[in-house]
Order: sequence, then structure tokens, then C-alpha cells
Amino acid sequence: MRVIVNFQHMDTSSPTVFVNAELLPMYVGRKVRAVVQVTQSDGEIKTGKSTDERQLIIKGLPQVPPMTHVEVIGIAESEQSIHAETWTNFGNTFDTQSYNQVCQLANGDFKGLFL
Amino acid sequence: MYGSQFDGGAAFSGGGFMPSQTTQAADPSFSSSKNREIQSLLPLTVKQIKEAFLLSDDKSNFTIDGVDVNNVTLVGMVCNRTGRITDVTFILDDGTGRIECNKWVQELVDSNEVEGILDGMYVRIHGHLKGFMGKRTLNVFSIRPITDFNEIASHFIDCIYVHLYNTRLRKLQGGVTTQQQMANSTSTPMKGSPAAPPHQFSGQYNVGQKNIEQMVLDFLQLPSSNADEKGVHCDVIARQLRVSMDKLMSSIQNLVEEGLIYSTTDDFHFKSTING
Repeated sequence: MRVIVNFQHMDTSSPTVFVNAELLPMYVGRKVRAVVQVTQSDGEIKTGKSTDERQLIIKGLPQVPPMTHVEVIGIAESEQSIHAETWTNFGNTFDTQSYNQVCQLANGDFKGLFL
Repeated sequence: MYGSQFDGGAAFSGGGFMPSQTTQAADPSFSSSKNREIQSLLPLTVKQIKEAFLLSDDKSNFTIDGVDVNNVTLVGMVCNRTGRITDVTFILDDGTGRIECNKWVQELVDSNEVEGILDGMYVRIHGHLKGFMGKRTLNVFSIRPITDFNEIASHFIDCIYVHLYNTRLRKLQGGVTTQQQMANSTSTPMKGSPAAPPHQFSGQYNVGQKNIEQMVLDFLQLPSSNADEKGVHCDVIARQLRVSMDKLMSSIQNLVEEGLIYSTTDDFHFKSTING
């Protein structure tokens, strides 16, 4: 049996959670933001490397130059994929380690400052 | 640097330098140094602003982590940008919340600043937090687009750091006050007090004489120390801070010479010149 959940009525003004691949499963259905480095492009579906070096699937992203870092903001569709609503090109010289640490801190000890 | 060292009120008052009276964006907190409060710049998330504690309804007196909020800096995305002749308003969304921002545009430098700012752009903002009828808004002094996106991670790390610093500082100050209250009511020597002595807080205090001077100064700047016009007797200070009388007296002498404290009714009572 297949259950289809409609996310279109989500309150998209709620805080956007900083996620990496490890944290994404906790926020399925919610608005998230993640930085990925696009590695593969298959039409509408892009595969990217998250800031914690794992694979994420991004839907709805237009063509981006390979190896650039892109911040994707959208709804977490599954434990491994995000449906992008907005995106920002973060360039080539982005420090993924620092951003990854922000994800961990923002969801851990300092959640109160973010969510 | 965050909330403890730079006395903005003292630096900008007197000497003929005052922000232009005609500029709408003149920050009132610069000109009023009536209580010589230390004005700090706080990096914040919108969530922190939304949860800031409002001291009084008639003025915009916010506190966050026990620190007065005056000037703030944020990083976020511009939304709903609306430009009018005299000002530009937009919503800043930093992922933790949304806050309304207003930038007055009166001179060429202002209009140049906001010209390139578009919806969906990441920006760095410096401004003053205002509250009105329960709504919090930002009066923006400076806005610029972000070009190096590492600044985003850097800003949030800044927010975390300053939050930690201020909450630790508050815990230590709270600890010293508790000691004094206990002393007044029971007048027994302090033993096994749970609060850590202030000099253990961070490496920025030098060990030794400078350290005791700072402790004495911090102690005399507490509201409880200034409740009495006479100030505090040096015996009380020695007991509270648990330092020997000779070390204390030499610290007190240095502080008096620097003009930071003064003796009141006799040679044994002292008060701080700031917040005194």
C-alpha cells in the first residue's frame, strides 16, 4: 500500500532547519536547508554530496555548474531527498566543515537559538 | 568585546562629537549616556530577537542573556523588498525566523547602498532593535550583500559563541550576588559556595594582582554593592572575595589611583565610580 502525503500546505514561514545527510531524516516533511555539492545530474533529479560527505537527492534544481556548492532550501521529501524551492549558489570556495558543524550545533546544544 | 569592555557611552559623549541631529537614522542610544551603559554589538538570530526579554514597555529596552540589546548584526535573506522615496522596508529571513527591517534613505550613500539589494539575496545587516506595540523591528544602519558565503556559517558560530559567553558571565555574576545575600542574612563565613570565583572564568584575566583588582571592581559594580550610599566596607569585600586583607588593600589602592573606585565616609568604605 502506498501512502501519499501532500506537503503543499506546510507552513513555509516556519524556521528552516540546518541539516546535513545525518540530520535530514529527523525532519521529513519540514522545511530544511542544506548545502550540497552537485555530483550527478539526471534531468530534474540531482545527486549531491552533503556537508557530512554523504549522498543526497535534490529535486527541482535547475542546471548548476558541477562541483559548485549550492544551498538548497525546501521541503524534506524523504530521509534522503529534498524538494528544492529556492537555491543559492555558494560558489567553489565554501568551507563545508564549518557549515557542517553549524548544522550539528544548531540541532544539538544550541537548538534554542535556531528552532 | 561583547558587552563588557567598550564603554560606548563614554566614548561618544562630550568633546563636541554627536551624531547628526537631522539624520532620521540617528540612534538615540548614542546620545543618551545618562546611565553610562556599556553598549555592545550583538550578533543574533531572529529567533533570539523574538525571544528577547523586554524590560519596560515604553522604551525599547531589550535584554538577551542578561545583556542589554542595542546594536545588532544579522545575516539572512531579503524578502518582500519595498522601496519608497524616503525609506526601504524588507523582511529579513535568516532561517530561524523573519523580522521586519527598515532603512531610511536620505542621502546618496544610502540610496547607493540599497540599490543593489534584491529579493532572495543574502545580506549582512547592522541595525538597532526597536519594539512597538509588541512588534519587534530593525532600524537598519548598514546593509551589504554577502559575497563569501562562509560568512553565513561564521555569523551563526558568532551567535553561538556570544550566547555562551554572556550566559556564563551571567552565571558567575549570579553566583557572587548569592554569596553576598547569604552573608547579610547569616553573617557566617562562606564555605563550599557552589559559584566559581570570577577569575576562573576565562584566560583573559591575568592571574595575580590584576585578577584581584578585577574581582573587586566587578564586585563593587554590582547593584547590591551600590545600594548603600556608603558603598562597601573592605572587610566585607575581603570576606566575599576570599582574599587576604593586604592583597585587597593594595588592589584597592591601585583602583583608587586609576579613578575606578573611591572611599566614602572613611578609609574603609569604597564605592565604584561607574554605576555608583
